Amino acid sequence: MRNKKSLKRAQLKIQQMVFMLLAITLFFALAGMFVLVFKFSELKDSASALEEKNALLLVTKLANSPEFSCGKAFGNTKLNCIDADKVMMLKENIERYSGFWDVQNIEIRKIYPKTSKNTECTIANYPNCNFIRIFPREIASEYSNFVSLCRKGSFEGEVYDKCEMARLMVSYNGK
Amino acid sequence: MKKKDKFVSSKRSQEEMIGFALIIIIVAVILLVFLGISLRQPQKETVESYEVDSFIQAFLQYTSDCKDNIEYLPIQKLVFRCIDNEECADGRDACDVLNSTLTEIGKESWKIEEGRPLKGFDLEIISEKKTIISIKEGNITKNSRGSSQDFFKAGNSVEITFKAYY
Repeated sequence: MRNKKSLKRAQLKIQQMVFMLLAITLFFALAGMFVLVFKFSELKDSASALEEKNALLLVTKLANSPEFSCGKAFGNTKLNCIDADKVMMLKENIERYSGFWDVQNIEIRKIYPKTSKNTECTIANYPNCNFIRIFPREIASEYSNFVSLCRKGSFEGEVYDKCEMARLMVSYNGK
Repeated sequence: MKKKDKFVSSKRSQEEMIGFALIIIIVAVILLVFLGISLRQPQKETVESYEVDSFIQAFLQYTSDCKDNIEYLPIQKLVFRCIDNEECADGRDACDVLNSTLTEIGKESWKIEEGRPLKGFDLEIISEKKTIISIKEGNITKNSRGSSQDFFKAGNSVEITFKAYY
């Protein structure tokens, strides 16, 4: 009788221990999963942030590259300043630059002053247009940054510097 | 004998309680260590302020329709004309032109619309602790990206601050 009671108590103890072990294992498994999910989401965030940073750096690098930048054509050297006249000439000779930049397309779109029509710039209509597309294809999933788009304007026979607000957009293949 | 049994049983339960408490303490310590390590890692800025920096750079170069005797003035020169309380060649107040031009540039560059992440923006031009221009559009939220730029001319220091709220 006493043995049976002791056996039952021992079984109960074993059960208790099993439950305890199960609970601890479950707890650690859940905690581990939580930590893993947290770490992975952090990793995804930093990967997308890095991609965005790379693209933005590429946009800034492009804006200040000799092919696009104003240089000293509009006074002192300026940051994020694009020479529209130079870009139009680049657009006309773009076949010489195939594979020069690791991008799918480059577009410069005027923001201000606002124009009612959405017209692509060509040699025929320049400067009465509102966007310059460097490669003759559509732009997709673009990264962009603000730039000033400068050109030489003329009024009553007088030449002056005209800078407008624009966005330099880059379709980037992420390599 | 029965009393001794009871004593042993109570001692055992006390031991179990101590064991349980120990496990909880160990788990708590492990959790605290994890928390400490994750908090100690430097917080990375997920979104940089390149756009805001570039925006300030770009609008400072924008050619306004305010002309002096020589040329159409870029915003940077118009700011100093406004500080000196001067007028444009056509008689308009330089500060009025600056204010309207910057408001329009801000509205066109940072569109605040339903369904867009941008909730508002705030542009301030301060010279010698005096606010020259203050443009606020939309709502001010807790999340913002901002940048400021200083420049000097003839002893006048100007600070331009721009914040975009998300």
